[in-house]
Amino acid sequence: MSTEKAVVEFNNVSKSFGQSQVLNDVSFEVLKGETLCILGRSGTGKSVTLKLMIGLLKPDTGNVLIGSEDICGMNERELSRIRRQIGFLFQGAALFDSFTVGQNLSLPIHRFEPEKSAADIKKEVEDMLRQVGLEQDIGKLPGELSGGMKKRAGLARALVLNPKLLLVDEPSSGLDRITASEIDELLLKVKSERHTTMVIVTHDIHGARKMADKVAVLDQGCLVGFGTFDELQLSQNDLVRALITEY
Amino acid sequence: MSKLLGHFEFVGDMSIFGIRALWRAFIPPLELAYLTEQIEEIGARSLPLIAAAGIALGIVMTLHTRSTLVSFGAEAWAPTLQAVSFFNEIGPLVAALLISGRVGAGIGAELANMRATEQIDAVEVMSIDSSKMLVSTRIVACIISLPFLTIFMDFAGLLGGFISEHFATHISLQLYVNRAFADLSWASFIAPTLKTCVFGFIIGTVSCYYGFTIDEGSAGVRRAATSSVVLSSLLVILSDVCLVKIIYFFFPLSAL
Repeated sequence: MSTEKAVVEFNNVSKSFGQSQVLNDVSFEVLKGETLCILGRSGTGKSVTLKLMIGLLKPDTGNVLIGSEDICGMNERELSRIRRQIGFLFQGAALFDSFTVGQNLSLPIHRFEPEKSAADIKKEVEDMLRQVGLEQDIGKLPGELSGGMKKRAGLARALVLNPKLLLVDEPSSGLDRITASEIDELLLKVKSERHTTMVIVTHDIHGARKMADKVAVLDQGCLVGFGTFDELQLSQNDLVRALITEY
Repeated sequence: MSKLLGHFEFVGDMSIFGIRALWRAFIPPLELAYLTEQIEEIGARSLPLIAAAGIALGIVMTLHTRSTLVSFGAEAWAPTLQAVSFFNEIGPLVAALLISGRVGAGIGAELANMRATEQIDAVEVMSIDSSKMLVSTRIVACIISLPFLTIFMDFAGLLGGFISEHFATHISLQLYVNRAFADLSWASFIAPTLKTCVFGFIIGTVSCYYGFTIDEGSAGVRRAATSSVVLSSLLVILSDVCLVKIIYFFFPLSAL
């Protein structure tokens, strides 16, 4: 492992659901400020990897370290402290249907920073929405937004507490090429302006090429490739080469 | 045998789920904003349905019973019969079944959809107790709303009965009310009304359990909605048998 400070560390992590082994002895680390893109075919455990990082799932064996703290044995109170530093953009944005966009963003602030006044929270929410170009949509319900707008609102919610680590699940899924590019640009902006460490699960090799410092390739629950694009270009594994040279 | 054990296990899981959720509702921070929202959704928005069903049922029941009472020369008892049957049984049971259909399906589908679209995961990511925010508030809202909806149903039934009687005999409202409440004791009002808290717990628990635990995408949403209505309606009727027996034991005066 590297001597630089790892924000995320997977050590021999395995996870199965019933008879199905989703992750098998996976180890890697993500350094501070780095962007890791996780590639692989559908059903290879990419989203499970993200959920393990935030403690939504627990590994069967191995451990997951966030900022050098093992989160596997943590109780909800301890996990809450860790989750305060992590933003999560879900595949479908996962905005609360019955809340407006503004309420969706203010909920995490209310929960994690209850001392803030309503005026301060409103200002933070408006600032955040301005950064993703949704300042006019603060009062809309998620059902009134397009797919791209939902993703932007989901990204705004994930960033509203200024997390040190941002986890992104399929940022371009269900979006047209242009809208997907807009989301990629927003993520690049987050990377360059906030220097947030990011782990992005994606099928979009174009987006991954723009954003990734490192790439992890999963196949049938195993990590079959890990490194920079240039390093993986030389991989002996056919799937790794096929995935990173797609299109 | 193993199938029977499976059923017991299922009922046990569901009961523990409901009792835990109810217990969590009283642990700070209290989710009062969400609770109020749920009471509005489950209680206030069900009022038109309860009112319409109560009035219609009141009219129909009077139409059915009137001819029999007339043949015994007992038509003056029509308001009493209407009040006793509505306050004792029809009001609580029909209100619970209507809420089971309207709210049970809604809660089951809503939570299953939230599960399918990762909204429940999003709640957990914010370190919010999803069970407390989404389940406890709904169960408590059902428990609080049902008695009030039952009272509303009872009076809507009486109103329906009065409308029907008024057109048949031109009875005045004052006389109808006097006759309706002449033989009605507090025991035959309070205990049957409060038993609907148990119905509320059943409806809330069953529908939240299905919605919260089924994770099968859009097919799961349909299954959660259907199963919530079927099982909660069945359990409401079965528990009514036990509750009526218990009420008669503790309040013998409420027996018809």
